[in-house]
Amino acid sequence: MNPISRPALAMLILALTFLLGPFIVIFVAGFSADETLAFPPTSYGLRWFGYLFGVEAFQRSFVTSLVVGAGSTLAALAFGVPVAYALSRYDFRGKDALRGLLTLPLVVPGIIVGLALLDLMVLVYALPVTLGLLIGHTTLLIPYTVRVVGSSLSNLRSDIDDAAITLGATRLQAFFKVVLPNIRGGVAAAAVLAFITSFNQVPVSLFLTGPGVSTLPIEMMAYMETSYDPSIAALSTLLVLFTIAVVAATEKLLGISKYV
Amino acid sequence: MRSRIPWWLLAPALALVGLLFVLPVAALLAGAFKIDGHLGLAHFTAFFDEPLHTQVYWRTLRIAGLATVVSALVCYPAAMAMVKVPARWRGLLTGLVILPLMVSPIARTYSWIVLLGRNGLANSLLVGSGVFDEPATLLFTEGAVFVGLLQLMMPLMLLSLVSALENLPPDVLAAAQTLGANRWQSFARVVLPLTQEGLIVGGTLVFTGCVTAFITPALLGGPKVLMLETLLYQKVNVASDMAAASVIAVLLLLTTIVVNQVLKRVSR
Repeated sequence: MNPISRPALAMLILALTFLLGPFIVIFVAGFSADETLAFPPTSYGLRWFGYLFGVEAFQRSFVTSLVVGAGSTLAALAFGVPVAYALSRYDFRGKDALRGLLTLPLVVPGIIVGLALLDLMVLVYALPVTLGLLIGHTTLLIPYTVRVVGSSLSNLRSDIDDAAITLGATRLQAFFKVVLPNIRGGVAAAAVLAFITSFNQVPVSLFLTGPGVSTLPIEMMAYMETSYDPSIAALSTLLVLFTIAVVAATEKLLGISKYV
Repeated sequence: MRSRIPWWLLAPALALVGLLFVLPVAALLAGAFKIDGHLGLAHFTAFFDEPLHTQVYWRTLRIAGLATVVSALVCYPAAMAMVKVPARWRGLLTGLVILPLMVSPIARTYSWIVLLGRNGLANSLLVGSGVFDEPATLLFTEGAVFVGLLQLMMPLMLLSLVSALENLPPDVLAAAQTLGANRWQSFARVVLPLTQEGLIVGGTLVFTGCVTAFITPALLGGPKVLMLETLLYQKVNVASDMAAASVIAVLLLLTTIVVNQVLKRVSR
C-alpha cells in the first residue's frame, strides 16, 4: 500500500479542523463571564451556566423535548420493529413499495411535514400541538428504527424463531423470548439514534410549537433573536458534552457506528 | 422466507404513515395547484413574478451546488488519507467525523455566530492586524450561510467517500502504477470511476441537505439572505400566505427529487 501522501494528509487535517474547531469555539465562549458575546472573551467563569438554570423557558422546553423524544422513540419502535421483522422474515408482494413508503419521511423535508400537520390536525381538527409534535417526530423516526433493527435482524439466523415455534411457542412468544433478546443491541442503538434525532429536530417542530409548548432547540432559536449574551454558548456546551457522553457510551456498549 | 404475512405486523405503521404523513403532506402540496376550487398553475406564475422569490430560489441552488463541489474537493483527498490511517486510529477518527452529525445543529451553527459576529474572532483578528479599521459585516451574508452549511454537511460527504474507498480493491492502484500511470492518471482513470457511487451518494446528501436547510440560513443569513425554507417560514408566520407556502413546499420536494434522480442516472 502506498503511504499517505502529504497533500492528502494536510487536507484531512484541514477538514477535521473545520469540522471540530467550532466545538472548541463554543466551549471557550460558554465559559465566558462577559455581559455580551465576544470572542475571545475578556473574562471567564461559570456565570452563564448558572444563569441557564434560572430561565424558565429553557427548563420547560427541555422537559418538552425529553418527553417528545422519549415518547416518539418508543412509538417509533412499537411501529417500526414489527415492520422490520416482517421485512426480514417474510416474502410478500409490494415489499419494495412498502420500503419506499416508509423511507418517505426521510425524503420529504421536515418543514413540509410540520406545516402539513399544523394545517390538518391543529387548524382543522383542533388537536393539541403536543400531539402534532409527537406524531410528526414518530413518523420521522420510523425509518430509523426499521433500518437499524432490520440490519440487526438480518444478522440473526431466521431458523431460531422457527425452531421455537416447532417446539410449541406461539409466534408472539417466539418473538419476545427468542428473537428480541438476540437483537436488543440493535433495538437499543435504534432507540439512541432515534432519541438524538428527535431531540435535535427543528424543521418538523417549527410550526408545531406555540405559546407554552416549545422544544429546546426552538426555544434556543427564539432566545437568540432577542439576546446577545453568551448563555446560548453555555447551553450549547452542555448539549455537546451530553451528546459526546451518549455517543461514547453507546459506542462502547453497542458499537453504534455499525448502524449509522 | 415465509410467504403468508400476518397483516397486523404492517397495519399500524402503514396506517400511521398513510393517514398522518402522506395524507396531510399531499393535501398541503395539492394546495399549490388549487385556485378557487379549480386546478391550475396560477400560484406558481404569481410566485415567480416576484423577483425576490426567483432570487431566493437561485440563491438556494447556488449555495447548495457550491457546498457540494467544495465538500467533494476537500473530502476526496481527506478520505484517501483517512483510509490509510493505521487501524488503531481509525475508530477514533471515524468517531470524530460522526460526532458532529449527532450534536445539535443549533450548537454547531451558533459557533459561527461566535466566530463571525461583530465582536467575533474573525473581526478581532481583522481589526487587530489592521486589515480593517472597524468590524466588518460577516454575519448575515451569503458567505456565512455557505460556510455554516459546508461545515454541517461535510461529514456526510467524507463518510460516503471513505466507505467507497474502503471497497476499492487494494491491488488496482498498484496495478495502475505498475502499468505506468502516474498519481494523477491512476486517480482520474482508476480511483474516480470505481468510487463515483460514493461521490454521487455524498453529493446527493450534501445538495439536498443544503436545499432543505432551515437552521443555518435562519441563524447565519437572517431575513437578508433568505433560502427556500426560511422564505417558507416567513410566508406562513409573517405573510400568512398559505398559497405561496404550498408553492415553496412543492419546489423543495421537486428539487430534491429531480436532483436525486439526475444523480442516480449519472452514476449508471
